Amino acid sequence: MALLAARAGKRVLVAEVNAAERVAPLLGAPPAGPTIREASPGIFSVNVAPPAALREYGLQMVKFRAVYDAIFENRVVRHFLRVVPGLGELVMLGKILHEARAEEGGRPRWDQVIVDAPSTGHAVQLLRVPGAMLGMVPPGPLRSDAQWMQAWLVDPARTTAVLVTLPEEMPVTEAIELDAQLRERVGLVPTAVLMNAMPESRFTAAQAARLGPLESAAEPVGPAACAARLHAVRTETAGRELKRLRAALPIPTALLPLVASVGWGTAEVERIADALAGTEGRSPWLD
Amino acid sequence: MAGLAGALAGKRVLVCVGAGGVGKTSVAAALGLARALEGGKVLVCTIDPARRLATALGLDALGNAETRVPDQAFAAAGLHPRGQLFAMMLDVKRTWDDLVTRHAPTAERRDRILRNRLYQQMSAALAGSQEYMATEKLYELATDRDYDLIVLDTPPTAHALDFLDAPDRILDFLGDDQAPLLLSPARGARLGFRLAQLGGSLVVKTLARFTGAELLHDLGDFLASFHGMYEGFKARAAAVHDLLARPTTGFVLVASASERAVAEARSLHDRLASEGMPIAGVVANRVTASLWPAGRPRPGEAELAAALGEAEGGLAPGLALAIDENERMAAFDAAAVAPLLAAAPHAVVPRLPGDVHDLAGLAALAERLRG
Repeated sequence: MALLAARAGKRVLVAEVNAAERVAPLLGAPPAGPTIREASPGIFSVNVAPPAALREYGLQMVKFRAVYDAIFENRVVRHFLRVVPGLGELVMLGKILHEARAEEGGRPRWDQVIVDAPSTGHAVQLLRVPGAMLGMVPPGPLRSDAQWMQAWLVDPARTTAVLVTLPEEMPVTEAIELDAQLRERVGLVPTAVLMNAMPESRFTAAQAARLGPLESAAEPVGPAACAARLHAVRTETAGRELKRLRAALPIPTALLPLVASVGWGTAEVERIADALAGTEGRSPWLD
Repeated sequence: MAGLAGALAGKRVLVCVGAGGVGKTSVAAALGLARALEGGKVLVCTIDPARRLATALGLDALGNAETRVPDQAFAAAGLHPRGQLFAMMLDVKRTWDDLVTRHAPTAERRDRILRNRLYQQMSAALAGSQEYMATEKLYELATDRDYDLIVLDTPPTAHALDFLDAPDRILDFLGDDQAPLLLSPARGARLGFRLAQLGGSLVVKTLARFTGAELLHDLGDFLASFHGMYEGFKARAAAVHDLLARPTTGFVLVASASERAVAEARSLHDRLASEGMPIAGVVANRVTASLWPAGRPRPGEAELAAALGEAEGGLAPGLALAIDENERMAAFDAAAVAPLLAAAPHAVVPRLPGDVHDLAGLAALAERLRG
């Protein structure tokens, strides 16, 4: 998605959340760590993690580094900050949303900020933190930050969620549950779902029916038929799951191809971007 | 290396660890199912909130109570277990409550903790809380019940090592007798920060600006109410540690055929070994199986067409593509998991046509896990 936006001349920030960093390496650049760096023309990346995000947040409040160090680097205070429920999530999300609303020379710093959120349950936990903070933190700086962050998250003109799943039973079930949880528990409405690694059918139904008997044939046909039938079974399962996903979710589904590649790099990412560009209809995340 | 089944045979507790998204929950359930089919009374305990295990076991939902997989569900899958299979989903909050109840010196103190707002949020939000409670619950189940085997599916942490560090980190916090002292002025915030130390004053005032004084008050109260319970917690954590280190316990490292998952499993392996934890085996999951002899050129379209005796427009182009793609993936997967297989008894589970989502699928997986 970042490549696609960059191709359209946009300035994009991709944020990973306390992850084993992958975005910059996939684009052929060294990992960015907690500092925003340009990974490829127009695409910047960052890996937000609680300690660095907290330090930035603290410095904004305290202004003087010496004072900050005396306070935030205090052993007991570090303990304290760890036990404040959701503070880690709040500062990480805060860092990301702060970038999203930042302006330079009268225009937004970024045309688009893309968050690579953690997996299902953890994503909901992360995104519901501002809302949960509003329920537990008394008025103060922390609360007012939670307030504007929540307002940004639930404003469909500013933020949208794109679900990503695989054409298999459990991932599809999870995607359907995630859609409901984002709507109900976060107030964030998903606008599209991407079905990733969708295998393409290589045989007609009549041809596929011939594969089974051929599996026991001698070399070279037997092994090749085995490989082909494995692929055909996966394709059939994938088609069934795609149908189930579409029936359950009231949002557009885009298909991304299964890239059978040994290892991932820029070339594979370019292929996925091409596929995204070619998806039918309007791509709601591009606007 | 010996097969995985032999290495797991005498175990009473299995702990499945590995990166997220490697099929850890399915492997845990299949290992439990295997023993139940052989005649054991088995419990599979998961912490996964995505209800994967429930779906796979044919249960509508899993709760904090141990639920037996019904005979009809087995029969429908064509399975006839000689033992029993139970499953449960860990309720982190409940486990915390039980722990506090057990160690609180008085009912008044227990209620004061349970009512504290920070405590109420802590179970869900404190980093490592899930991991800590998973081992805590495991200890309780292993000591109080009569299961022949308990399989624990650990939380899908971003960094699997959190699993080992969490108890110490949380105990370190709760047991830090300095924290309540330093923060205690905040409890008397209305009295105007009576402070013992100048440094403390700056710290507390700035923190209060940051979080609001009320939150600080809650925290001071929270930490003070744990005061004196540290020894009990510490002793319990030591007992949990001993249970994990017993020879009848086995850690099972689960990885899929990706660099990331294998790297995670290897670092877990080294860490477990350095702590003297019993590593029972390794599961390399979703590995593409090779179908063509190594070192021989793969059959092309023409060769396949000739063997099939077909003209143009037949199966040959699709078959050539399929075998080529399969072998490239198989070579990549084999190279990815190789460093892991040298480490311990192992099982390599081929990538199956569909994912595992029911009892029959779990039974097939269990068969593959014999190693």
